[in-house]
Amino acid sequence: MESHVCRIWPLSVPDFVHYLHISWETDLGKGFTVTLWNGQHAWSGKVSETQMTVEANEAEMEREKYLAELRQALTSGEGRTRNYSFDISKHGDADEMLNFTYEKVLQDFSFKLGSVELKKVSDPTEVIKELINYGLDCIGDLRIKNEHMQKENKRLKCDCDYSLNELEKHVKDKEALEHGLYSRFILVLNEKKAKIRSLQEKLKCTQEEAEAS
Amino acid sequence: LSCVDKVSSIFDDVEFCVLNGPHNHPKADLEKGIAECGGLVVQNPGPDTYCVVADTVNVRVKNLIAANTHDVVMVDWLLNCLQKKQILPWQPKHMIHMSPSTEEHFAQEYDHYGDSYFVNTDESQLREVFKRMDQPEQKFSFETIADLEQRYSWDTSPLSMFRHCVIYMDMDFPSAISDPNSQIRDTSLDLRALELRYYGAKVVGELNEGVSHVVKHDRGQHLQKLKSLRRTFERKFKIVSESWVTDSVKAGIVQDERNYLL
Repeated sequence: MESHVCRIWPLSVPDFVHYLHISWETDLGKGFTVTLWNGQHAWSGKVSETQMTVEANEAEMEREKYLAELRQALTSGEGRTRNYSFDISKHGDADEMLNFTYEKVLQDFSFKLGSVELKKVSDPTEVIKELINYGLDCIGDLRIKNEHMQKENKRLKCDCDYSLNELEKHVKDKEALEHGLYSRFILVLNEKKAKIRSLQEKLKCTQEEAEAS
Repeated sequence: LSCVDKVSSIFDDVEFCVLNGPHNHPKADLEKGIAECGGLVVQNPGPDTYCVVADTVNVRVKNLIAANTHDVVMVDWLLNCLQKKQILPWQPKHMIHMSPSTEEHFAQEYDHYGDSYFVNTDESQLREVFKRMDQPEQKFSFETIADLEQRYSWDTSPLSMFRHCVIYMDMDFPSAISDPNSQIRDTSLDLRALELRYYGAKVVGELNEGVSHVVKHDRGQHLQKLKSLRRTFERKFKIVSESWVTDSVKAGIVQDERNYLL
């Protein structure tokens, strides 16, 4: 069982925050349950797989594409829901039934992704409990994950620093070795060149002497 | 010492002065060895002394070196002679000190560092020559090494592929990421700098005239600043991305900078 909770601001009552709870088994495409809570009352309803197929056809979208849009609309973070709008409308005066619609907003028009009939829940405290539990569970999980990540991060940082230091040592050693070898090489090489010069000089002298005689 | 049995006559009538010996061959043993080979041993070197033998350079050895009248030879040479039962020629590696006449003789054969002028050397001999040399005081510049490598065509070695590069690492990156509190800096430029040095580059800490490349973090800012600074430079440096380094290292040869310009 997976679920997602987010806040929405229905178009008809934009000043009232509503809590939207979506829950589904393994895959959203197999149908899902919608629960809406406005702080006082709660409504709940189900969207079936066949209903989604019908809605995809109405929107003239491929099923997969439609599902991707639906996931975006219903289960992504609040920041990303800017491209989607939600609305509720009551059936008559009583608030026993609500019609909940979700739409995708394009530049200058929006089209309906789907709608679902929600029935008032007799015991909203159960809904609230579930919402709070969900929130707390999330916080707990994230905290554990965060701690783990931070530990991991620290370890990686340690390893990284260690490796960098080692590498720096090796680089310095290599530079020193290279420098030492090259400088000795140069000294020995220059000795040989000095010898060659002196022999050259000697040869020149001998040649000159030979020519002179 | 007069009652030793003579085993060889290689040192017949040759006078030695042994000053000290190693633990496993103390002075007395060495003197006995010399006598067994027909040599004479004196306690103070005189005009007829062939050479002074020593293992460690102590005050007495130093004084003899200062006097500059005798050759001071390492114990190893004597041990070799005793072992092989023949007088082996002195080599530069045997000499602690040479008298002027010996030095002149050696100068005909060997250079100042003991490398022969005429006989080919090999790895172990050259290694010994190098080992005997003090770390040269004189600092050779990167250019000297680069010239040398070019002259002898060693510049194709991957270990010197960046030799012609003078590189400044531009450590600037978005401030949010360079937050000192963040555990891991989102840059591997320090690693790149070490890589560059390992493969022969000269990495400098300041962006001055003469820098050939600036390696920059791809997401780093102030590219424009760098470019306007470059306009004031006489020799224009290239601004390249990190992948120029990694790709070159991977390929074992410096890649064309033009494909990595920022």
